[in-house]
Amino acid sequence: MMKRRRAAAVMMAAMMTAGALAGCQSGQKAADTGAGSGAQSQAVQESTEAVQESAGAAQSQTVQESTGAEQSQAVQENGEAVQKESVELIVFAAASMTETLTEIAQMYKEIRPEVEIIYTFDSSGTLKTQIQEGADCDIFISAAQKQMNQLDISADPSVNTEGLDFVLEGSRFNLVENKVVLAVPDNNPAGITSYEDLGTDKLNLICLGNDDVPVGAYSIEILTTLGILEQLENDSKITYGSNVKEVTTQVKEASVDCGIIYATDAFSAGLTVVDEAEEDQCGQVIYPAAVLNISKHQQEARDFLDYLTTDDCGAVFESVGFSMAR
Amino acid sequence: MDWYPLYNSLRIALISSVIVFFTGIFAAYYIARLNRVVKGILDVILTLPMVLPPTVVGYFLLLLLGAKRPVGMWFQEQFGIKLVMTWYSGIFAAAVVAFPLMYRTARGAFESFDETLAYSGQTLGLSNTYIFWRIRMPACRQGILAGAVLSFARALGEYGATSMLAGYTPGRTATISTTVYQLWRTDNEALAFQWVVVNVMISAVVLLTVNMLEEKNRKERR
Repeated sequence: MMKRRRAAAVMMAAMMTAGALAGCQSGQKAADTGAGSGAQSQAVQESTEAVQESAGAAQSQTVQESTGAEQSQAVQENGEAVQKESVELIVFAAASMTETLTEIAQMYKEIRPEVEIIYTFDSSGTLKTQIQEGADCDIFISAAQKQMNQLDISADPSVNTEGLDFVLEGSRFNLVENKVVLAVPDNNPAGITSYEDLGTDKLNLICLGNDDVPVGAYSIEILTTLGILEQLENDSKITYGSNVKEVTTQVKEASVDCGIIYATDAFSAGLTVVDEAEEDQCGQVIYPAAVLNISKHQQEARDFLDYLTTDDCGAVFESVGFSMAR
Repeated sequence: MDWYPLYNSLRIALISSVIVFFTGIFAAYYIARLNRVVKGILDVILTLPMVLPPTVVGYFLLLLLGAKRPVGMWFQEQFGIKLVMTWYSGIFAAAVVAFPLMYRTARGAFESFDETLAYSGQTLGLSNTYIFWRIRMPACRQGILAGAVLSFARALGEYGATSMLAGYTPGRTATISTTVYQLWRTDNEALAFQWVVVNVMISAVVLLTVNMLEEKNRKERR
């Protein structure tokens, strides 16, 4: 009995020590990365930047410039800092970019190993709300201009009704363009072949995104243009998904007869596309991207967005059906 | 205000709690008789839905009932009916999630039943069916009723598995819980609030019923 109790006490002590250590570490890390916390950490930061910008040679130069005892200390800290000072970039992106951006993060790791990209993929509407509610986020990539405008103080106040100011000035640009398509499950059980078929008896149930989800808004525009939205609503033929991936899954599982999704999601899920919306049906589907002004790593965030416009990334985007918006 | 979600929620909750009422009682009755190992294993399996997140339950149910999954495909072929994305899909979800509540409370009630009463019945030549319905059930009445009310409340409040299995089709599969989520998402706070009030009132009534049953139970024991 005594023994067991002692063992428990030792365990507790060990756990507490471990906890305390972890606390110290993260504390130090925070101090390191925090802006303007003493000259020393600043020096570390500066030298890290130098190392990042140009490898090897630059490092020795920095060392040469500093003097005496300070020198070796600087070298030591420098070395440690290069390993430790990783930057986490939190990217909120439209759910339809899940596959492409995940692949690009892998590519980026080879170029900038110190930058860790952390994604949150959801509907742009949800992401916009989360940013508004104070989520930590460095980059926002929306599947429609609306959600980006709602966060951009320079946008029309009739769109940005709450006067939100999150978009870093001058960092916003149009990244890619997508297409809105009508997708059906394998073998197309209901035999739907066009948007026009949605108004017929062939259709029993269609899955759309909510109207706060860009793809849902586009779908509603298409159905309104065709003049069949009201009829579908009255017949209870519409089921709503909370983002484009949910709609895609419902179609893939054949839970519904068809769904309106992006060309890229249909491609990634291997779904059959039977119709594609023209520009006069729902306008252009543009994905804007921007750095947020609440970001603590604005430079790294800009670098990553620049990287997204390179030909390497363009190839990834185009491989699933995006086209570059340039 | 369109009252369809209330009607749908109530009908899903009622049907699933009736199903759960019988299956839960019989499971509790028969499993209590099994040997320890089998009982232990079955007990864990049957109680799991209570502690698992409803989304996990929904996932398992979709693997079974989905239009391209074994059970779902069989029903499609045999009867031409779909098991997902319909209003009665909600019943499957609600029944599975509410089952453990009925099962556990019924088992608790049966365990506190004085077995000598059943034995005396047997010595008097009564059939087991008679003993079950006329002696055991009345003796355990309060516990079983509480279990039924609790599982009804749980079925009424089901969201996670329901939204995965039945989705949200206004006027078809919408329940109170999925409607509230939908209205909140689409920024219709006023209407969401009305549904929240409706839901809170129903749940309060249900809990009140449970409390009254328990009080009655305590008085009778004295």
